[in-house]
Amino acid sequence: MNPGFICGPEDRILITGSNGFIGVKVVEMLLEYGFFNLRCFVRPSSKLESLKKVLEKYPACQLTEIVSGDLLSREDCRRAAQDVSVIVHLAAGFDKTFAGAFMNSALTTRNLTEAFLEIGRPKRFVNVSSFAVYSNLKMQRGALLDENSPLEDCPQERYQAYGFGKLKQEEIVMKYGQSHGLPYVILRPGAVFGPGKPELSGRIGIDTFGFFIHLGGSNELPLTYVDNCAEAIALAALKPGINGEAFNIVDDEKMTSREFLAACKSVKKFFTISVPYVFADLGCRLWESYSKRSQGQLPPIFNRRRCAAEWKGNRYSNEKLHVRLGWKPKVKMADAMKMFLAQYR
Amino acid sequence: MNPLRIAIIGCGKIADQHVLAIRRIPNCEIAAVCDREELMAAQLAERFKIPGVFSDGQKMLENVSPDVVHIVTPPQGHFALAKQCLESGSHVYLEKPFTVTAPEAEELIRVAEKCGRIITAGHNYQFTLEMLRMRKLVAAGYLGGKAVHLESHWAYHLSDASYVGPLLGNRNHWVRQLPGKLFHNLISHGIARLAEFLDDDLVEITASAHQSAQLTRMGGQEVLDELRVTIRDRSGTTGYFCFSTQIKPAMNGLRVCGLKNSLIADASSGSLIRFESKASKSYLTYFLPPLRLARQYFRNGWINVTDFMRGRLHQDAGMKELIEQFYHSIQSHGAPPIPYREILLTARIMDEIFAQVYSAQDGVRTALPENLVNGLSVDGRRSYTQSPA
Repeated sequence: MNPGFICGPEDRILITGSNGFIGVKVVEMLLEYGFFNLRCFVRPSSKLESLKKVLEKYPACQLTEIVSGDLLSREDCRRAAQDVSVIVHLAAGFDKTFAGAFMNSALTTRNLTEAFLEIGRPKRFVNVSSFAVYSNLKMQRGALLDENSPLEDCPQERYQAYGFGKLKQEEIVMKYGQSHGLPYVILRPGAVFGPGKPELSGRIGIDTFGFFIHLGGSNELPLTYVDNCAEAIALAALKPGINGEAFNIVDDEKMTSREFLAACKSVKKFFTISVPYVFADLGCRLWESYSKRSQGQLPPIFNRRRCAAEWKGNRYSNEKLHVRLGWKPKVKMADAMKMFLAQYR
Repeated sequence: MNPLRIAIIGCGKIADQHVLAIRRIPNCEIAAVCDREELMAAQLAERFKIPGVFSDGQKMLENVSPDVVHIVTPPQGHFALAKQCLESGSHVYLEKPFTVTAPEAEELIRVAEKCGRIITAGHNYQFTLEMLRMRKLVAAGYLGGKAVHLESHWAYHLSDASYVGPLLGNRNHWVRQLPGKLFHNLISHGIARLAEFLDDDLVEITASAHQSAQLTRMGGQEVLDELRVTIRDRSGTTGYFCFSTQIKPAMNGLRVCGLKNSLIADASSGSLIRFESKASKSYLTYFLPPLRLARQYFRNGWINVTDFMRGRLHQDAGMKELIEQFYHSIQSHGAPPIPYREILLTARIMDEIFAQVYSAQDGVRTALPENLVNGLSVDGRRSYTQSPA
């Protein structure tokens, strides 16, 4: 146990979305650090096999409990936040509609923060957000995207409900930080990958039309291996002196979209077509324009904001993560790729 | 003519569709949105630049005085909210299911008539482009008289985790609190299609339901997801309804069989297929009809392409058409787009289905209720006129 952490083993830590792709790893990381007083919050219909498997590995974690509930219910949020010192809020809404995404990201976060402030022992609220909140529309290709980069100011035009939900979630956390002194930290992971999530990041391309269109070209990907990402999240929950800060999470070693796709195709054969960014951008602009003219006969799923965010290409920095959290990725990219690709075999 | 001032109560997932459809209709403006959860109202208003944001329906009605209120809340709130809006002088578009029970539906229609306002149900799948084409043909006598037999299919895949997950995970989820549970929220469209062609006097409804293996694996508990219903009215028209979460490809449409010819309005492909009683000699029976069908499918494809080119093939075309007809009936003081008779018959058939399948599940069998056998008090058969341009 590191004496420099903001809480000790007796403090209770709540992890929402604890049975998810990243959540299970965060639980494992906290157990590894010696925090056994965990409350793992899950939806009632969740599959718990992988979470239970992790808990079984740590016989000393008798104090750890699994609590099921719905974060849209204030009562369930109170049950979750009771006597909790740190919350790692990972639960995410993947609803395709804007209202659904807002409900499952923003409303749930509002309910949880209010319960935390009311009946918790607030030392830290870690809000796990996403790179989807950034807008690089006005940035040059290849420009450095870091924590100071602009956030999306027109999510409706970008037409991505998930990013909208995450933006509103951040707004709520910051609002409670200002008005109620909520001690929060915001984390924005890039493209998290690892075994258990075989889907390719949308930043590489899309399979909307029945085959894979590679749109990422030789762009650098903001990759972070799930174990490395989980460690960054755990550190953000525990390190002192970072309240009110936002951190991007990307690994040290970079891969381009083309390299990543080639690695995938080396173990799993599938048909792909590469489209250069200039054509992708033109196609998205035409699509958006037609969508407006036809009053949404084609929904504006392809538009210049989305095109820029996913396929324009940026460089990414994790300097703040290194300096302020003392984080170092434990899993090297070569090993990470081996474990990721093994799931296709 | 002053533009119609519209308000929306309930800012959940379906509210976006209403806003998008309303914005394509000329001479109307959305003046306010309202949700008990003010943040939900605020997010909708922010995205669509709607001036009024309320968390109290009464306050919204007093401040905005909307001409029309779209109520898109969970059905448990429909009756009270619609009554409140009608009594305050607004016309009401009520999302499906119209109300939780048929007596509530009857009461609402009585209130609407008393207040001199119009109310309609969100049975928008009766207004898709192929259904409009079908209605024209039927009005022109294509069936050769009253429909002899109807078949309505409605499908819903359980793959939408954002809907099914919360529903199964929470015993108190609003869908599970409805008398017909999952069916209650999903079958209105399919039943409404039958109600259009059935008489009010029904002499037989037999419903059976079960849980699919897929839902059992998902931990479906008491929720049923496969439903089959047979119906017969006093004149002898029979109807069959199938709701399934399993059938692939999803079947979604209506077959109407007449004395002379028959039709299929296939909502899955936006096609209207005619079956004409033309006899062919000998082996030509096997050669000509498939070719005629192929020609029809080709023609339907072409119609859809031209509709797309003209910007008429929106995914919510049925909703826009229904709303436009509803607004037109308000402005022209005309008949509502869906006759009240059909709304009530739909509600009564649904009540009976739920009584049979969920009481059967509990080991209790109910008799056909008297009001279903004795017909309906509200008149208003569909007049098969063309929709307003």
